[in-house]
Amino acid sequence: MDHNVYIPKLAKIIEIKEEVGGSRPIKSFRTHFINKNDFSHRCGQSAMISVLGKGESMISISSSPFVKDYLQFSILKMGRVTTALHEMQVGNVIGIRGPYGNGFPIEEWKGKNLVFIGGGIGLAPIWSVLNTALGKREDYGDLMLIYGARTSKDLVFNDELKDLKKKITVFLSVDVEEEGWKEFVGFVPQNVTDKKPSPKNSITVTCGPPIMIKFVIKALKDLGFEDEQIYTTVENKMKCGIGKCGRCNIGKHYVCKDGPVYSWAQLKNLPQEY
Amino acid sequence: MEKILTKKSFSKWVKKLESYKIYAPVKNDDLWNYEIIDIPESIQLDYPNTVLSPKTIIFPQREIFLEFKASNEEGLEVKEILPEEKPAVIFGVRPCDAIALTLTDNVFKGDFEDPYYWKRRNQTILIGLTCNIPPSFDCFCLSVDGSPHSKDGLDILMTDLGDKYYIESLTKKGNQLINLAKDCFEEPKVTDKKDLEEIHANSEKQIKRQIKDIKKIPKKLKGMFDTPFWDKESLSCIQCGICTYLCPTCHCFDINDEVASSAPLKGKRVRTWDNCQFPDFTMHSSGHNPRPDKSSRLRQRILHKFQYFVELYENFQCVGCGRCISKCPVGIDIIEVLDKVRDYGS
Amino acid sequence: MVNVEDIKKEAIRILKEGKVKYIIGYKKSTNGSMSVPAFIESSEDVENLIWDPTCVYNLTRFLVDEKRRKAREKNPDERPVGIIVKGCDSRAIIVLLQEKFINRDDVYILGISCETTGVLDEKKLSKKLNGKKAEKVEYDEKNNFAITTADGKIKVPADEILAERCLECRANFPAINDVLFGEKVERKSDKPFESLEKIESLSKEKRWSFWKEQLDKCIRCYACRSVCPMCYCDECVVDTINFAVTADTTAEEKAQRIKWVEKSPATSENFVYHLVRAIHLAGRCIDCGECERVCPMDIPLRFLNKKMEKEAKELFDYDAGFDPDQPSLVSCFKDEDPEDFIR
Repeated sequence: MDHNVYIPKLAKIIEIKEEVGGSRPIKSFRTHFINKNDFSHRCGQSAMISVLGKGESMISISSSPFVKDYLQFSILKMGRVTTALHEMQVGNVIGIRGPYGNGFPIEEWKGKNLVFIGGGIGLAPIWSVLNTALGKREDYGDLMLIYGARTSKDLVFNDELKDLKKKITVFLSVDVEEEGWKEFVGFVPQNVTDKKPSPKNSITVTCGPPIMIKFVIKALKDLGFEDEQIYTTVENKMKCGIGKCGRCNIGKHYVCKDGPVYSWAQLKNLPQEY
Repeated sequence: MEKILTKKSFSKWVKKLESYKIYAPVKNDDLWNYEIIDIPESIQLDYPNTVLSPKTIIFPQREIFLEFKASNEEGLEVKEILPEEKPAVIFGVRPCDAIALTLTDNVFKGDFEDPYYWKRRNQTILIGLTCNIPPSFDCFCLSVDGSPHSKDGLDILMTDLGDKYYIESLTKKGNQLINLAKDCFEEPKVTDKKDLEEIHANSEKQIKRQIKDIKKIPKKLKGMFDTPFWDKESLSCIQCGICTYLCPTCHCFDINDEVASSAPLKGKRVRTWDNCQFPDFTMHSSGHNPRPDKSSRLRQRILHKFQYFVELYENFQCVGCGRCISKCPVGIDIIEVLDKVRDYGS
Repeated sequence: MVNVEDIKKEAIRILKEGKVKYIIGYKKSTNGSMSVPAFIESSEDVENLIWDPTCVYNLTRFLVDEKRRKAREKNPDERPVGIIVKGCDSRAIIVLLQEKFINRDDVYILGISCETTGVLDEKKLSKKLNGKKAEKVEYDEKNNFAITTADGKIKVPADEILAERCLECRANFPAINDVLFGEKVERKSDKPFESLEKIESLSKEKRWSFWKEQLDKCIRCYACRSVCPMCYCDECVVDTINFAVTADTTAEEKAQRIKWVEKSPATSENFVYHLVRAIHLAGRCIDCGECERVCPMDIPLRFLNKKMEKEAKELFDYDAGFDPDQPSLVSCFKDEDPEDFIR
């Protein structure tokens, strides 16, 4: 049973944090495997979370690989499985199988400046690679985060962002004017153009709604970034998570297995069908 | 190992295989499909082809992955349900359907091996039957590197010589089956071998339909993603699932939880076939659908079979069985579509 | 006899005059004698039009596609679509009109009379030819079909290979049409529901095992649903819970949707799917026979739907698809409706 790729390993929810409330709530879950196993992941990988009786959902692991006590998933309530997750309490049991996906090629980025650009829940996959870089700070150049959401209430990891500002450059934004908001007002791509990150010896990682990614890539190219310097994650409907059910393919790639991390140089050559 | 088996001795051989589950094509009303055989004398090998390929036996339309239920200790209990241990023999497998299984093998192995598929695959022995005449007017196996007497993927190939079968055993498993009933078989004579070669040569001449220059097609398709070609070809498609469900090489599936009781929780996680032609196949939870119309779905089917699969495994994901052509409710003809692809733009 | 040149002339005329966007008709397939649906946009395409006993399809189904396509376009072309229909097919158009799914000026109906025969059943044809391939089938003098094979031409009495529904035909020519080809020959059947008798005469247990055996064959390809012009619901009872979702549908709404039928092709699920579909077609099915024709597993679906058609007739004296102004069965009542179940 241990080697059966379709059988989830049981894990207990040990902590739940409400990141964002309202009509599009986001909660962070920290989970701990019930039975000891050798689960280990690279930043940018995801896992299939099972709510037995409802189904499975592929969620990116937002904790860094250096954290051994728990796995963290930050989940937006969207449909049947995620609604069931949001209704769970500490102590409830879920299933986890994985890790799946190619992860970020962070070893190739040693010595480079890293610019992270996220929108809304898109900060979750970025969080794991950002913390991996922070965990080996001396291996990387300057670190910058440009992150925005609809309103200040929709920003995730709010408390951690305050700490992060002390360690690296952080630029936040909200879409529209808000009382008490002193930082940039506008969409994330506009903030990118405003803050002008330098393409010299840099890699960018961008995650968020597809429309945001489209305009962020345009803004980065206008600033002189090459296609090979721009990385993003793609999402698609997934069921097996291991490249067999045939559902998530873009061209010959299965996003669950060969992705979800792609450089723009790779992605622009694939059929634009995602 | 090569042997001769008279038609009279055929059921004697089958009787010696009682430790195996025996599958053979059976006709119900006018429909041929594989069924488990209880009476060896009832096996008829003089048949066209089944509606559902032997893929159904190795990769059934529904299978249980695991059972789950609420438990007092850890809150939840999950139990793996593997396929039962029962070796099987399938008689009457057409060579195209056997090649199809070698193609789906590529998908189910790799970094993550599928235990359910392989449990059944490894315990099933395939006995093929040469197509002396094409089973269907729409057969085109020769165009996709197959043949009516191909041995690829089979453990034994039987060829009908009239009153007897020429038996060619191709694997250890095939040899084992023959050794279980040594006295049923005779040694082939020189004339038998000559008859065999003649039948095999003739069988190829009878395949009427073909796709010319099929090797040009993967490259051609690469440049056709954004063309209006697919809108036109998919006009009459009604979005059912016949072409993909009947196809011996298609493998898409769905995984669902079927709940028998919600409190206390008890249910099964089940795999079922799924279909890239269904509108909700790629639909995200948010409602966004990367393939929102039948044009993009038909394009996915053709590109997957004749470009993406070639890029991944160097084989077309099609064996030329012709089922999709014969059974399409609106007569969409994959050979015609591919001819048009090859000539597109010229 | 219907002359296909007359149909072609009319098709060219309405295309040239811009009266229709395109015409849905029949053309020859590339792999045999059966016709396939054709979408004719230009006078050159018109040359491909055919009319012969292989024109089995009910093309009305494509009017549903057309409506969906128009709904997605910003400035749709409001001209009607030309469509070639037989008597049975035209009843489907009338049901769509009865239900106000389409308007009369959305279609330009080229009606064709089946005169004294009808269309063939592909399975009966292939049985008749004993494995030989038919290259062409044509209408011949009264009540014969002329079949051309590699060995030459033979004449076969039409009744031997007619589609089952043609033997019980109640609408030999489209009563609703903009132009009619062929003669209005009355071919009303005296016993329109005779084919049901052999199942109705079975005991309850035998009927259950008959239907269990048949429906266990079902692979849930949904061809029967996809080909039916009356199955036009945006979201069907079998669709997944995430179907018909917009950006505004909340997560709770999606989570609370009930999964009525599992995807598994188990006996219980297959029964629910087919019986619910039959009930949803009660008083709407016009017996075009397409569901049974397309089924790859040869399930006799016509019996299910025809039984509902018979119930509608016997209980409520209701005939679907003859009068466009008649309301649908389930949306009206008459004082004479049976009340014996009210105690």
